[in-house]
Amino acid sequence: MYFKTLLKVSCFALFCFFVVPVMAQNSAVTGKVTDSKDGSPLTGVSIVAKGTAAGTVTDVNGAFRLSVPASATALIVTYIGYDRKEVAITGSTLNITLDPSSTSLSEVTVVSVGYGSQRKKDLTGAVENLSAKNFNQGAIINPVDQLAGKVAGLTITQPGGDPNQNASVRLRGQSSLSGGLSPLFVVDGIALDDPNQFQNIPPGDIASYDVLKDASASAIYGSRGANGVIIVTTKRGSAGRTTVSYDGLVGASNQSKYYDLLTGAQLRAYGATTTAGNLGSIDKGANTDWQKAITQTAYQQRHSVSISGGTNTFNYISSLSYQNQDGTVINTGKEQIGLRFNAEQKALNDKLDIHLGIQNVATNRKFIDYNNFSYVFNAPPTYPIRNADGSYNEFSDFNQENPVEHINSEFYRAKENLTLMNGSADYSILTELKIGALGSISRNDIETRGFQPTYADQGNRNRAGQANENKDSYKGNIHINYDKSFGKHKISLLGAYEYNDFRYDAFAARGAQYLVPAQLDNNLGAGVSTYNSIGSYREEYYLTSFFARAFYNYDDRFYVTGTIRRDKSTKFGSAYQVGYFPSFNVAYRMKKDLFANVDWISDIKIRAGYGVTGNEDAIGVYKTLETVAPGNNFYNGATGQYLSSYSVNQNANPLLRWEERHGKNIGLDFELFNGRLSGNMNYFNDETTHLLYDYTVPTPPFVYPTILANVGTLVNKGFELALSGQIVKGSKFNWNANGQITFIKTTITSLAGQYSFAGQTYQLNSDQIPVGYAQGRGLSSNPITFLKPGYSPDVFFLPHYTGVDASGNQTFDGKTIAQVASPPGHYIDPSPKFNYGITNSFDYGNWNLNFALRGVYGQKVFNNTLLDIETVTRLPGNNVTREALTNGIKDAPVASDKWLENASFLRMDNITLAYTFKNVSFASALRVYVSSNNLFVITKYRGLDPEIKTENSAGGNILFGNNLNGSNNTAFIDANYGGQAYYPRVRTFVLGLNISLK
Amino acid sequence: MKRKKIIIIAFTTLMVGSITESCNKLTLKPYSVEPVGNFYQTSDQIAAGIAPAYTALQNIPDGNVNQMNEITTDEIIVPTRGNDWYDGGQWQGLWLHSFKPDVFVDGGWADLNNGIGKVNFTLNILNSLPSKPSNIASINAELKVLRAYFIFQFMDMFGNIPLVTDYNTDPSKVTQKTRAEVYAFLESDLTTNVPLLSTTVDKTTYGRVTQYAGYMLLAKLYLNAQVYTGTPQWAKAIAAVNQVINSNKYALNGNYFDNFSLADRSSTESILAVPFDNVNIGGNNWEMQTLHYQSQLSFGLSGQPWNGFCSTADVLNKFTGADVRKNQFLVGQQYAADKVTPLKDTQTGLPLIFDPNITTLSSATDAFRLAGARNIKYTPQAGTSGNQSNDMVIFRLADAYLMLAEASLQNGDAATALTAVNKIRARAGATTWIPTDLTMASLLDERSRELMWEGWRRNDLIRFQVATGTHYFTGARTPAKGDDGDTHTFLFPIPSPELNSNKNLKQNPGY
Repeated sequence: MYFKTLLKVSCFALFCFFVVPVMAQNSAVTGKVTDSKDGSPLTGVSIVAKGTAAGTVTDVNGAFRLSVPASATALIVTYIGYDRKEVAITGSTLNITLDPSSTSLSEVTVVSVGYGSQRKKDLTGAVENLSAKNFNQGAIINPVDQLAGKVAGLTITQPGGDPNQNASVRLRGQSSLSGGLSPLFVVDGIALDDPNQFQNIPPGDIASYDVLKDASASAIYGSRGANGVIIVTTKRGSAGRTTVSYDGLVGASNQSKYYDLLTGAQLRAYGATTTAGNLGSIDKGANTDWQKAITQTAYQQRHSVSISGGTNTFNYISSLSYQNQDGTVINTGKEQIGLRFNAEQKALNDKLDIHLGIQNVATNRKFIDYNNFSYVFNAPPTYPIRNADGSYNEFSDFNQENPVEHINSEFYRAKENLTLMNGSADYSILTELKIGALGSISRNDIETRGFQPTYADQGNRNRAGQANENKDSYKGNIHINYDKSFGKHKISLLGAYEYNDFRYDAFAARGAQYLVPAQLDNNLGAGVSTYNSIGSYREEYYLTSFFARAFYNYDDRFYVTGTIRRDKSTKFGSAYQVGYFPSFNVAYRMKKDLFANVDWISDIKIRAGYGVTGNEDAIGVYKTLETVAPGNNFYNGATGQYLSSYSVNQNANPLLRWEERHGKNIGLDFELFNGRLSGNMNYFNDETTHLLYDYTVPTPPFVYPTILANVGTLVNKGFELALSGQIVKGSKFNWNANGQITFIKTTITSLAGQYSFAGQTYQLNSDQIPVGYAQGRGLSSNPITFLKPGYSPDVFFLPHYTGVDASGNQTFDGKTIAQVASPPGHYIDPSPKFNYGITNSFDYGNWNLNFALRGVYGQKVFNNTLLDIETVTRLPGNNVTREALTNGIKDAPVASDKWLENASFLRMDNITLAYTFKNVSFASALRVYVSSNNLFVITKYRGLDPEIKTENSAGGNILFGNNLNGSNNTAFIDANYGGQAYYPRVRTFVLGLNISLK
Repeated sequence: MKRKKIIIIAFTTLMVGSITESCNKLTLKPYSVEPVGNFYQTSDQIAAGIAPAYTALQNIPDGNVNQMNEITTDEIIVPTRGNDWYDGGQWQGLWLHSFKPDVFVDGGWADLNNGIGKVNFTLNILNSLPSKPSNIASINAELKVLRAYFIFQFMDMFGNIPLVTDYNTDPSKVTQKTRAEVYAFLESDLTTNVPLLSTTVDKTTYGRVTQYAGYMLLAKLYLNAQVYTGTPQWAKAIAAVNQVINSNKYALNGNYFDNFSLADRSSTESILAVPFDNVNIGGNNWEMQTLHYQSQLSFGLSGQPWNGFCSTADVLNKFTGADVRKNQFLVGQQYAADKVTPLKDTQTGLPLIFDPNITTLSSATDAFRLAGARNIKYTPQAGTSGNQSNDMVIFRLADAYLMLAEASLQNGDAATALTAVNKIRARAGATTWIPTDLTMASLLDERSRELMWEGWRRNDLIRFQVATGTHYFTGARTPAKGDDGDTHTFLFPIPSPELNSNKNLKQNPGY
C-alpha cells in the first residue's frame, strides 16, 4: 500500500462529501455572540443547553451551532470578561449580546496544543495564546510582525528594512549552533517545511497563534520541537449570513536614519588642509549624497477581501489578498497575491467532520546585490551621479563603483509560489471516541533570475542566469482520540501515526558575455559557450512517527499530562534511526483549596513540566553516508578536455543523531481582582545535549578538517513574566495594558567529548571556534566572534581600546600595533540581558489609541561599518563620517572593543489611532485608522539601527552566490563590506480601513 | 462490548500506521551524490577518482604553501598600505618571522594534508575494489610519489609531522615523526616507486607525475638531506637529478618567459606543472595579488587587482646587465594598454610609478600605495580578474640544472657546476660566469633570479644557511626585520587547530 494512493483516495472522498445533501437538523440552534458595546464577534464563548450536557463554543466569528434536546428551554452563555447570560430558546437562530463584566475567568478559551486543543485553564505546559484582537497593528505585511514583543520568550528581529528579508523568530534563546533556530510553524495542523514560508502568508488570514514554549509542551513534535512550536490557526467560516469584509491600507516608508558622511563641501574643506591644498582629481565638482541617492520614498498597499458564510452543516471562508511593498532602496520590492479557501462540512448526524483548506501565495521579488551598499560609503561626495549629458558617471576603484548606476542596471528577480493544500476527516464512532485522518501537500517553487551588465569602466563580462528550486512535501497522519469523564475524573487520550516525505530539487543555468544585454536572462544560450554552466541537485528524506498523549484532570484542580513521540528519520545514522521524545507535566489550580476565601485572587495555578525535544535541522540529508561528488576540474592532457574529478565530499558520520533539548519549566498562572489583572510567569532551565557542530578533526588521517558530530552541550536559562490588566474601566473611557519581560542566558557548556565509532575512539575538541569576522580593507582573516565553552554563542574576543598616542596611533591596553602586532583580546558577551514589550490601548467613545513599545537591554553590536569608514586613512578617495576628522585616530583600522557599541534600545514599534463608526447603514463594522511603525527608537547605538541579525547564516543566492537579501550577514556584526550589508530600516506611516458589509 | 470496540479501533488505527511504514521501504536514496561503494566501476570513473589527488596541487603554487615559502624570505613582501593588507598582522608576521600557531600557518597545513588525505583515500578505495583495474600497480606508484611530494613539503615546513599513509588509521593514535624518520620513509617510498612510473613525456602525461618528476623530488630530498638528517647526500642528489637531465626528454625554453606564458603548456622545460584555466580550473591569481588597482588598465583586466605582493630594491638589485629575468618585475611609470598614456592612482592622483624602495613595513602615506616592484612573470591575462589560464610550475629543468650545480659544487666538482649554471645564465642573456664567479653565495642569488616567487626560496635559504652558517634565512633584512636570534623559525609552529584536534601533537620548539 502506497501512501500517496491513500492520500488520493482520501482527497477524493473529501470532495465526494461536499455533494452529500445537507441533512435537516430539527433541534439545532445557531447564532452569533457579540459584544454588546462594540458589536465585535466573541470567539470561544461557551454555550450550554440548560440542564443538559449539550454544549459548544463559538468560532472566531462568534458563530455557534448547537444540537439541543427537545427538553432544553434555555442556553447558558458564559465568556471570560463578560457577564453570564441565560437566553431562552425562542427560535432556531439566536443572536446573543454579552455585557462586559468585572469578572473574567479563563473559562473556555480554547488553545491548540498540537494535534488537539485544550481549555486555557486546563493547560499544563507553558503555552501562550494570542488572538487577532491582540495582534500588533499598523503596517503589517509580514505576519510575524503581529507577534513582535507580544509573547514572553519570543523574540522577533527584523534584520533590516528589506521587504525580502525574513525576520528571525526565536523562542527562549538559541538552542543550537548549526541547526535552525526558528520555532516550528504549524498552520492548520500542518507543519511547514521551512519556517520562513510562514512569512509569506497574508497576515489578514490569521485568526490566532498558540505558542508552545517549553519542552514539555513541544515534545509532541519530537525531533522538530526543540525551538518550540508556533501553531497558527487561520480564519474559518461560520454559519449564518454571508459576510463580506475588506481590510486595506496604504502607506509610505522612508529610511529612518543616515550615517553622518562628509558632504562635498566638507570633503573639499578637508582637501584644503592637505599638502596639495585641494582634492586633485577626486574633486569632480559635484555634491552628491550617495546614501540618499539610492533611496526613495517607498509606497505600500495591502488589500484583502474575504467572503465567509455557511449553513448549519457547511461553512467556508475565502479570501483574496494583494500586497505590494516597495523597498526604500531603489529597484527593490515585493509583491504578493494570495488566495485562501477553507471549508468545513459536517455530515452523518454531525458525526463526520471534514475540513478542506487550500492556499496559494504568489510572490514577486526585486532584489539588489548587497555589495552596492558598500559603494555608498566609498564613493566620494564630489563625484556626480550622472554626467552633464545624462549618462551615468562611471568610476571604478577598489570596491568603488557608482551605486546608483549599478542598482538601476542590475536585474535580480524571484518568482515564488507557495501552495499549501490540506484535507482532514474526523469521525465520531462514539461520543467519546473519534478517529480521523489528515493529509497535506506543500509545494514551494522559487524561480530566481539575474542579469549583471558590463560596465565600460570596469571591463567585466556581463552575465545572466536562471535557477529553479522546488521544495515539496507530502504529509499525512491518522489519529484516534478518546475523551471521557467519570464523575470528577476526566481523561483525554490521543494516539497517532504520522508520515512526512520531504523533497528538494534545484536547477540552475548561467552564461556570460551576451551581445544583446537587453535580452537579460531570456536567451541564456546566446552567450560565449565556454562560460555556460549548468547544475542540478535533488534530495529526499522521510520522517515517520508514532505518538501519544494522555491528559488527566481531577475536579479541574489537579492535572497530569504525558506525551511520547517516536521519530524515525532517514537523515539519522544507522545506529540512531529512531528517537524517543517524552514529556510529563503536572498542574494544580489552588484557588478552591487554598484561596477560597481570598477574594482578590480569582484563579491561580502552578505548573511544572519536563520534556525532551529534538533538532535535526543541522543534519544534511546525506551527511551519514560516505559519498563521492564532483569536485574541481582536472585537465586530461591526452584529450585536452577539462573533466570533473570525483572525490569523497565529506567526513561521513554514520552516528549522526538529533540534538536533544532537555527542558524543565515551572510556571504560575494567575488572575487577580476579578480578572482585572492576569498574567503568568515561567522559569526554565533547558540543556541541549548532542550539540551538532562541524568539529575539527586531525588531518591526517581525515581527508576533511571537520566532521559534523553530536558532541557538546549548551544551556538556556530564563525567566518570563507576562501581565495584562484593565487599568481604567468606565462607560466611556477604558485603558488596557499588557506587557512582558524575558530574561534569557545562553551558555555553551562544552564543545568537546569522546566519540566512538567502529571500535575507534575519537576525541573531538574545539576550544574556541571562530564564527564571525571583521569585514573591511586590511581586515581579512580577522575573527572577532567565537564559540567558546563558558560563554554565550557568538561571544566577542576583542582587544581593549585605550585611546590614541601622541602621533594618532591607536593603543590597545596601552600598546600600539607597532609595539604588539596582535594585541590581546578580551571576551565580551553581546547578547541581551532582557527583552521586553509593552502595549497600551485607550478607548474613548469611538476612538481607540493603541501603541506598542518594544525594547532590548544589554545587547551589544559590533559597528563594523564605522570601524571601516570612521578613519581618516580613507581620505580623500573614499568617504568617511564627520567624526573621523576629529576622533584623532591616524593609523589603520583595527577591530577592537571601541566599535562594540551598546545596542540597547526602546522602539515605538507601532502607534495606531482608530475611529469606529457605529450604526452605519451599509456596514456591520467600519473602522478607519492611521498608524505609524517605528516612529522612533531610543538608543545609544551609532549605526543606522541597533536591531540587526542575531544569528549566523552563510551562503549567497543560488544564482551567482552573491548576497541579495542579507543572507550572508553574521550575528551581532553590522557590516557593509565583503558581501555583508545592512539594508536600512524604515519608518512607515499608513492609513487603513476595515469594513464588513451588511 | 463498547470497550472492546474501542480497543479494536485503536489497534486498527495503529496497525494502519505500522503497515504504511513497513510497506514503504523508507530508505535514504541519494540522487546527486553517490555512495563511495557504487563509484570506481569504469576506467573513466577511476580516472576521475584519481584526479582529486592532483586537484589538491591546484592550491600549491599560488596558495598558502607558496606564500609561507616566499613571504618569509626576501623575495616577497606584503606591506600594509594604509588600511589595506593589515589583516590582523598576518603578512607582517610572515616577513618578520613572528610566526604564531593561530595565525596563517594552518592554511598550508590544510592544503598539504588535503593532498595526502585524498591520495590515502584513493589508494584505499582502489585497492579494495573487488576487481581492481589492470594497471593498479602503476596507479599505486603514481599516487604514492604524488603523496611523497605533499609529505616532502609538509615535513620541510613543519618538521615534526604526523605521517599517515593509511586511510584507515585510528585518529587517536596519530603521533609525530621526526624529520629524519620522514626522510627515511620518503627515501624508501620514492626509490621503490619512482622506477615504476611512466617515462613517457608528452601530452598524455602532462600535469601528471612521471618518473622524472619523481626523480626531481628525490633529488630535492637528497639536496636537503643535511637539513633533515645532519648528513649531506650530494652524490645521491647528483645521481637523482641526472636521471632527469640525462633523459634528454626536456630542454630549456629559448625564452625564459615561455615557462610562464599563457601558452606555457607547450613549455619544453616543464617537468611537473599544475594546469589552470580561466573557465575550468581556477586558482591562479598571480596578477591580482601583485598588481595595483589601476594596473587593470595596463593589461585589460576585467577587475581591479588587489595591490598586495611585491619585491624590494634588494631583490631588484640582484639583476645586472642584460639579464632578461629582470623583466619579470614592473617598476617605474605605468601605462595604459596603449603603452603611451601614463596612468595615475585615481585615489590619490599620484602618477602610477612603482617604487621598489621600501623602507617600512607599514605606512598610510599616499606614496606607499605604489611601493614595491610587481612581479608579472606569469603574464597577466586580458579579460580576466584572477583565475588566469597560465599553468603553474612545480618542477622545471632550470631548477634541475641549478640543483646539479649546487650538489656538484658541494661535492667538489666545480666544473660541472659552472657548466650547469651557465646554461641558465646564457638563456637569461646574462653574462657567462668564470670559475671565480661561482660561490655558494652567488649560486644562491642565481637561484633567486631564476626561481623568483616560485616557492623554493625558504627551502633554499635554510639549506644554504645550514651549509654555510650565514644567516640567510634567520638574519636581518630591510625593512624592519631583525635577526631571529636562533633557528627555531626553520620550522613553522604546529597550528593551534591541529594541536586542538589531535592531543598527541607537540608544539615545535621555540613556539
